[in-house]
Amino acid sequence: MATSSEVSAAEIRPASLWRLTWRRLLRQRSAQVGGLILLLLVLTAIFAPVIAPYDPLEVLIGKEDVRKREAPCIHLLGCPPDKPQHIMGIDGNFRDVFSRVIYGTRVSLFVGFTTVTFAIIAGTLLGAISGYAGGWVDNVIMRLMDVLMAFPSLLLAIAIVAVLGRGLQNALLAIAIVSTPVYARVVRASVLSLKEREFVQASRALGAGHAHILLRRILPNALPPLIVQATLGVATAILDAAALSFLGLGAQPPTPEWGTMLGTERNQVFTAPHLVFFPGLAIMITVLAFNLLGDGLRDALDPRLKQ
Amino acid sequence: MSRRIALLWAVLAVVAALALALAGCGGKAEQAPATEAPKAETQAPAQETAAPQAEATEAATEEAQGFEPLSVTAECKDNKIKAIEALDEYTVRFTMCEPDPAFMAKIAFTPFFIYPQEWIEANANEENKETLLSHPIGAGPYMIESWNRGDSIIFKRFDDYWAGPAKTETLVFRWATEGAQRLLELQAGTVDYITKLSPDDYETVKNDPNLQFLPVPNPNIFYIGITNTFEPWNDVRVRKALAMGIDRERIVKNFYPEGSEVADFFTPCSIPNGCVGEPWYDFDPDAANALLDEAGLPRGEDGIRFRTKIYYRDVFRVYLPEPGLVAVEIQTQLRDNLGIEAEVVVMESGEFIAQSTAGKLDGLYLLGWGADYLHVTNFLDFHFSRNNPQFGEPYPEIYEPLEQASTIADPEKARPYYEQANNAIRELVPMIPVAHGAAADAARADVQNAKAAVLGPPDLQTFVPGDRDTLVYMKAAEPISLYCADETDGESLDACKMVGEGLYRYNADGEAVPALAEKCEANEDSTVFTCYLRQGLKFHDGSTVDANDVVRTWDALLNAASPYHVGNTGAFEYADYLFGLMNKPEE
Repeated sequence: MATSSEVSAAEIRPASLWRLTWRRLLRQRSAQVGGLILLLLVLTAIFAPVIAPYDPLEVLIGKEDVRKREAPCIHLLGCPPDKPQHIMGIDGNFRDVFSRVIYGTRVSLFVGFTTVTFAIIAGTLLGAISGYAGGWVDNVIMRLMDVLMAFPSLLLAIAIVAVLGRGLQNALLAIAIVSTPVYARVVRASVLSLKEREFVQASRALGAGHAHILLRRILPNALPPLIVQATLGVATAILDAAALSFLGLGAQPPTPEWGTMLGTERNQVFTAPHLVFFPGLAIMITVLAFNLLGDGLRDALDPRLKQ
Repeated sequence: MSRRIALLWAVLAVVAALALALAGCGGKAEQAPATEAPKAETQAPAQETAAPQAEATEAATEEAQGFEPLSVTAECKDNKIKAIEALDEYTVRFTMCEPDPAFMAKIAFTPFFIYPQEWIEANANEENKETLLSHPIGAGPYMIESWNRGDSIIFKRFDDYWAGPAKTETLVFRWATEGAQRLLELQAGTVDYITKLSPDDYETVKNDPNLQFLPVPNPNIFYIGITNTFEPWNDVRVRKALAMGIDRERIVKNFYPEGSEVADFFTPCSIPNGCVGEPWYDFDPDAANALLDEAGLPRGEDGIRFRTKIYYRDVFRVYLPEPGLVAVEIQTQLRDNLGIEAEVVVMESGEFIAQSTAGKLDGLYLLGWGADYLHVTNFLDFHFSRNNPQFGEPYPEIYEPLEQASTIADPEKARPYYEQANNAIRELVPMIPVAHGAAADAARADVQNAKAAVLGPPDLQTFVPGDRDTLVYMKAAEPISLYCADETDGESLDACKMVGEGLYRYNADGEAVPALAEKCEANEDSTVFTCYLRQGLKFHDGSTVDANDVVRTWDALLNAASPYHVGNTGAFEYADYLFGLMNKPEE
């Protein structure tokens, strides 16, 4: 009897939060599209050397009969077969734009994930301590976060890069720093509401330590809003990194980075539009993917939508 | 009480009036010695002690009373000219502090154009500054009719121009900042000639039968600067390896507009003695790598010998039209040809110039130079003199022959010294000359005689715009002022060239040719220049051009102590840079 009752209990056990979320996410059209694009982008980044026909730094002077800033040549669309195929054209330094855009995916995803990971770790730590400890600790940390949030994020990132020096690494650090306050506030808000809940009180009554309560009881329950914020944050981070590179403060030549590619050829928007169109399109698609996925996640994780 | 206050006010008013009167007298008393004291040393001191107003009156009646020659002198300090004297009505003598073989080339430059003595004396002051800056009287091919600020300047033909009246009666200057807009106006037929054609529009213009493509063979140099006070650039073998390891032809062919040339010398060949001596090294990466091995810089496991930086500013110049692309190309060549990993560093323009010319950049830097006048001293002496730190420790092997050459007027006699200097540059590699960039203008196909000039604007007075009686010339920006004695703005200098005329002027090939002067003769060591004016020439106001006009113009331009030394900014930068201001106050 005991065995059959255990089985039936397992059968009737309600689905976990994550399983429910996953099911709801799969029903979201925007999340489906966003996730699919993201999957393709990740695959592109992983298999870039296989997909890209050229090395992104390879200068084709003397190797192929190409002109500077030559328009795309696609054999299927009528480009003469004797001409080498460059589906996104040639850039000002005689490099294949398609290969650079493909490799640019690596840089952009790396930038997005790295900065958001850093910002989540720092923000969660600060927000959790702040919300859990309360009092003057909360005051000091949150006022510091308020100061960071008082500046427009890109302007602050530019200021940080100006101090640290230009380059991709410093740009990543700058973006991570300016993103941190958002995560700190989200986590703090969750911690504040959770720490007074019954299950936390119960843990405390049973003699659990602060670290145990914070790490095992509170933070796991504070994750859903953080995940949504992180997904949307990746998009913002990619945009910020592209903006810094466009301004010449982020990735430096010859790194194939979409913002740098846009910035270098910004004056050719009328004479060689393909040089700004494709990197711009790549940025747009990536940011769109993260935004769609973030929206879907938000809806999926919202308990009010639970059916 | 009130009466006492009124009395006090009255006393104060009288004191103030007296103070003003004294200050006025004091001002005059101070002005007079500043300009007249030097003249006391000249041949005609009696006439020079008169007040400026009296001079003007005398000048107006000089024909009746006989010619009273003016002069201006100064002690030799930072200035190159110590005396400018009118010897007679049509002869002026310039006495130099040191030999200056480039004198004729310099005086043809627009800031040294001649204005009537009376006009300067009447307008070169703060009260009439507006007239001075906007309505100059010159002896050029066109007179100013109106300046419609923000829109256009209209010129009318000067029929008494010494070289014959201009072909077109009306000349209109217009401007548009964007290259695309200038081309659109030309294609629409609303303008006849545009400057600074964007390299991306070259093909459009060439393929349009209604337009003519006009290359501008502007003398300039783009070079890769190396500062020899930083490692590893202090080793001449490393510098030489760089000179052999960079494919300059590939850079010029792929990143410069048509008409640009690979530079084998620092100075362009169009300038006499510019390219004498051994031409630059051929591209030879094997020899370059051998030199780097010999210098103790072997390749590491990653194939890299050492790391450095390439500094540049992201600013369009004719000598470097696409700085970002060229920087990346050099970065690629250094890595592929020599195993040198270079980081590309963009700097703010002003900071870049300040740092590079002070010799403070530890890597390579991309810089260039455009000719102010066509003389080899404008290129070599400026960059390689003993006082210039831009390539680190100056090289005596280069500056010593240059100093000797600068005292010789005859180009043939100076040639061996320039040959020696060029060979030393090749041997010591303070920089790598890369390219002489080309620019282009464009005109409507029916504009006859259209030809871009080497220096400054084209000879618009010779153009015939089809059957139209107005020639419309479009530039990139509006002039700042039309009194170019105190202007450095290129747009202003171009407009001034229509109105003014110098003792010499540059022809379309950039050579300095006699204009108001029939000729200028140098003494043997180029320390005294005597200029003989053409007789019977007229200014736009009908007055005759004579030697006193020349002296007064140069007095206003070069003599810092002159009451007429008034201009747009008061800096008189070109005059100071090319000749050094006379009687400069002690700092």
